[in-house]
Amino acid sequence: MSAVAVAHVTGVGHAGSVVSAICVRGMRRVLARPMLIMPMLLMPLIFVISFTGAFGSLTRVEGYGTDNVFNWMAVYAALQGAVFAGVGGASATAEDIENGFFDRLLLTPGSRVPLLVGTVAYSSLRSTIPTTGVLIVSVMGGLSLTGGPLALLTVYVATWGMAAVFCLVGLTVVYKFRTMRSMILIQVFGFSSMFLSTGQVPIHFMNGWLHAVARVNPVTNVLRFSRQGFLGDITWSLTWPGLLALAAMVLVSGVLALRQLGKLAA
Amino acid sequence: MISGTLTGLRLSGIQTLALARRSVVSEWRQLGNVAPGLVFPLLLAAVYTHQFERVIDLPGFPAVDSFLDFVLPASLLQSVSFGATEAGTELARDIENGFFDRLRASPCARLPLLMGRLGGAMAVAAAKGSLIVMIFMVFGAEIAGGPAATVVVVAAAVLLVLAIGGLGQVLAILTGNQEAVNATFPLVFTSIFMSSAFFPTTLMSGWFRQVAEANPVTWIIDPVRRLIIEGWTWSDVGQALGVPLALSAVTVTMAVVALDRRLGAT
Amino acid sequence: MSGSTELASSGADIVIEASGLVRTFGEVVAVDGIDLAVARGEVFGFLGPNGAGKSTTVRMLTTLLRPTGGSARIDGHDVVESAPAVRRIIGVALQDASIDPLMTGNELMRLQAVLHGIPRSEARRRCPELLARVGLTGAADRRVATYSGGMRRRLDLALSLVHEPSILFLDEPSAGLDPTSRLALWEEVRRLNRELGTTVFLTTQYLEEADELAGRIAIIDRGSLVREGSPEALKDTVGSPTLRVDVDAALLEATRRLLSGFGPERPAREGRVSVGLDGGASRVTEVVRALDDAGISVSHLELDAPSLDDVFADATGRRLEGAEE
Repeated sequence: MSAVAVAHVTGVGHAGSVVSAICVRGMRRVLARPMLIMPMLLMPLIFVISFTGAFGSLTRVEGYGTDNVFNWMAVYAALQGAVFAGVGGASATAEDIENGFFDRLLLTPGSRVPLLVGTVAYSSLRSTIPTTGVLIVSVMGGLSLTGGPLALLTVYVATWGMAAVFCLVGLTVVYKFRTMRSMILIQVFGFSSMFLSTGQVPIHFMNGWLHAVARVNPVTNVLRFSRQGFLGDITWSLTWPGLLALAAMVLVSGVLALRQLGKLAA
Repeated sequence: MISGTLTGLRLSGIQTLALARRSVVSEWRQLGNVAPGLVFPLLLAAVYTHQFERVIDLPGFPAVDSFLDFVLPASLLQSVSFGATEAGTELARDIENGFFDRLRASPCARLPLLMGRLGGAMAVAAAKGSLIVMIFMVFGAEIAGGPAATVVVVAAAVLLVLAIGGLGQVLAILTGNQEAVNATFPLVFTSIFMSSAFFPTTLMSGWFRQVAEANPVTWIIDPVRRLIIEGWTWSDVGQALGVPLALSAVTVTMAVVALDRRLGAT
Repeated sequence: MSGSTELASSGADIVIEASGLVRTFGEVVAVDGIDLAVARGEVFGFLGPNGAGKSTTVRMLTTLLRPTGGSARIDGHDVVESAPAVRRIIGVALQDASIDPLMTGNELMRLQAVLHGIPRSEARRRCPELLARVGLTGAADRRVATYSGGMRRRLDLALSLVHEPSILFLDEPSAGLDPTSRLALWEEVRRLNRELGTTVFLTTQYLEEADELAGRIAIIDRGSLVREGSPEALKDTVGSPTLRVDVDAALLEATRRLLSGFGPERPAREGRVSVGLDGGASRVTEVVRALDDAGISVSHLELDAPSLDDVFADATGRRLEGAEE
């Protein structure tokens, strides 16, 4: 018999190294295909430029709350970019499934959860690229850092969180349908959940059903949290609802994704 | 001799129709592809109508009862532009999988090869455009120019599809690669955002305003919008149809030349 | 047909064991109650045409797909209940070389090592060694997208060996390979089996591959096993080899009369006489002598041993060769 001569690392250490290996692999793949970085970076940049350019005169409407439209739109474009980054991370798994590589990953002994966590970590990490791009363009457009450097940190925290959420939502669908095409669904869902929030105008600008939806949309809290440092000071009262919303969304989408992961062999 | 020519023309007509039918059928069989082109612009219009109510009172904003009337041309063009790039993508797919060679090997003239796809895309655009206008009217949009203007509005959108589709065909023929053709979609998407589609150029400022004013999409949107909110004038009808027609003449000619080269080269 | 059952009762060390394994996809029954037993150190060939249920069976045995019915154990571990334990001891090279085209051979090897919890120092020694063994040292830092089909297969094999599995599943290992790459792959499989005692479970639709590599074969058709045994034993069930003799048209009748003494006549083309040679190859000299004595000059003579295709045809009434067209 062939002795299993190779020693195995087990437990938490193993899980950690799998997570980081999956994450590193994802980043390598992105960097290996510069063509992939472009749309992922360009879309949020187009958003921040288009929305600030087209809707610049919103600041002249009473009650908009800021005199520079970048202060309002920058976070919106960054979060939209994070949603793309998250869906993109799930798409990488869809690609793996379509070309068969995912089978190889599934043959890994031990828990499959690190595979999922690694993909999520990679999505959050890759969202850093568009977020940074949007922030640079916005600073050039006159973004005011009233909340100090901490203002930038809140944007990164929010975008990492949103990328994680939409990666998990995407993975839930990918594990279920196993095709790249199903990602269009998630793209539309992500887009919609951003649009149905206070992305472009304050909540009191809205009326009817949109007002009602945006009010209960958790993304609105995330926007408030990450935008506060550009409109005024950073306060705990705007911070904890945002963090809570992110945590709740990660939890719910995480449970859904884990459930589908468990059903994969069926 | 004369009867021979007639037969040739009639044959081309029949071939064009057959190919157009094929592309409409394939579109119909992939309704998932059509859905985003309807859902996304309608969602955008619904959200904008409910969040920009205060904006229509800004000095310089056209006199409208609701943002809904204002945004109709934007939603219309956005909706049809989704299908427009599809025509190019499908041609590229035909080239990639060899179906195009089969068509080429058949005794079919060149113009039908191109116009078949574009004709199909235009037919789908006419259906989608009419549907969008009807939905808007159900929700209270009014077209001041009357039924005749409604036809012109949809026709302008259909002609724009011909122009964008022609461009997609050029890229498809030059590259034979679906991804390259898909790259035109963000371009179209962006050029709609960077126009008067969602905000009047008079309320924009700086370089963005210059870009928007020089954008051919603005040249189409503005007369179409005047037909909707002000009423029928022959000069607006001329501009609304003339601009996309001129653009189509350019791109379709380019496509024919490109196809000639490709056929000559292989 | 009862090879597995005999094996199971013979007290051999069974490492792959399936009983009543069933998998349905909606209405379609892909695998319909399969019993298997493979002993440690065997090379077991799973032969059948496309769509017979080979890959579905492998996916169930390797924990990638849950059985609808029945059960399977790998080295004592249930594929459903103890899937992680199963994955620890098996190596799998799936159909179409499941590898990521954007990574380099080296990167994939390292990733695979991490996935299997192999310490970094160990991986650093083992990965280049395996790449060298499959002849990919020179291409290790190239993206897999630039590899040929044969190179992908070899990399896939190296990947499945990173953790020194004691049981190796190869699903259609040589599909799409050129003859040279196929021979190299066969040699590597034989070496693994010979030197490390690795048990190999191999699916194939190529008769030659099953014949060359496998010590024991199961033939699967439409989700069920139709024959099982060593290639030789299976061929023996078909009966005597076919003797074919080409002669001048004028001598055809005389030849036919003479050869009918050696066995039953079998269908043959114009200008040829074929018989099932009772007693096999040992009687060829006897035939030649008889033909010579009768003054019949032969332009061509051949003896064709029964092939696995004959076995397949005997079991299913169809030919495997050319069946996929």
